[in-house]
Amino acid sequence: MSTKERNVDLAKWSGPKRPYDLVKELVIALVVVTLLIGACAAVFGSPDERAVTLQQWGQNAPSDFVATATGELAGSTISAGYGAPYNDAAEGLTLGPLKLQKWAGITIPVNPAEDFVLKPLKSSIDSAVPTAVATWSAASADQQAKWAEDYAAAIEKAGDSAKVVEDAAYGPVPVMTAALLHLAQEGSLDGLLTTEVTPLPSDFTMPLLFLADGGYFDELGAQQHLHGDQWGMMNETGSYPGQSWLWMFSFMYQIEPFKSSENADSQIFAMLFLLNLGFIFMPKLPLINRLPRLIPFHRLIWRRYYRENNL
Amino acid sequence: MALLALNLNHPAKFFDWGFVSVSIPNLIMIGLIVVLFVLALVVPFPTHKEDGK
Repeated sequence: MSTKERNVDLAKWSGPKRPYDLVKELVIALVVVTLLIGACAAVFGSPDERAVTLQQWGQNAPSDFVATATGELAGSTISAGYGAPYNDAAEGLTLGPLKLQKWAGITIPVNPAEDFVLKPLKSSIDSAVPTAVATWSAASADQQAKWAEDYAAAIEKAGDSAKVVEDAAYGPVPVMTAALLHLAQEGSLDGLLTTEVTPLPSDFTMPLLFLADGGYFDELGAQQHLHGDQWGMMNETGSYPGQSWLWMFSFMYQIEPFKSSENADSQIFAMLFLLNLGFIFMPKLPLINRLPRLIPFHRLIWRRYYRENNL
Repeated sequence: MALLALNLNHPAKFFDWGFVSVSIPNLIMIGLIVVLFVLALVVPFPTHKEDGK
């Protein structure tokens, strides 16, 4: 800060003054906004999209459910390869040399095959399940992966898990995934997964991760224009207005190099951090700090002052 | 829900232009924000009788 600028800041104001009741204005604004919110809530309500459940998934898209459960056993799903905070399967988000996600550490350990499939199956009353799980547990990791991958490939080829012909090449996987599907369809799996972390059904980490690994939830999001490549960050469910003030974040996800980047989240965050720094230091940026002289927008806002003082 | 004057829990329509995709409800809100901004510029600030000189 130059000496001249410091002097301007310290100098006593000698221009005109007028009283201004800031508290009164604050109270009026508060009352008006409260009434407005009340009126809008009465007229429009609020987004009322019901939570998607594993039961709903199992009933509406059973083949997708079975394929996803098979993917969990094969270790090929998003959550299986996510990295921190769930596992060490990937490095995760980076920003140049900064390994942001990895450094955050594994704070919520999740083993998809164990947590989403094997543990819930202990509650199955299907008589074939204990043998199937025992066969699975006794097999080597390579054998387990081969069974699951072969069954996943068969589902993909048939287009529907119900059309896959029984084959010993799939090992116990079809029995296990069918039993898990049954648990989901009857509604038990929602309860089992929401109580894996806490005794009360208040932690939705497990069911949400499992749900997000499948195609059913993904499709529901696409229908509501909630995907990142659909400007989803700005959108709300139903016909409610969303977060239009996030247009800049949303916009960056639509353009290269961010659009195809695996580290788009950290890169866009960094870009907007830099842009905000630009706003903060605008008076110090050459050329940019001359813009008000070229575009005298402030003279329109304070036109009375400029008019009265013949400036 | 039945008491609502206007139920908005149904899929929105979207305005698509190139890679730009904006929901009509968002467009309406953005329009309102712009109108409010212009009004704030144009409508004279309330004057105070006790203005000091």
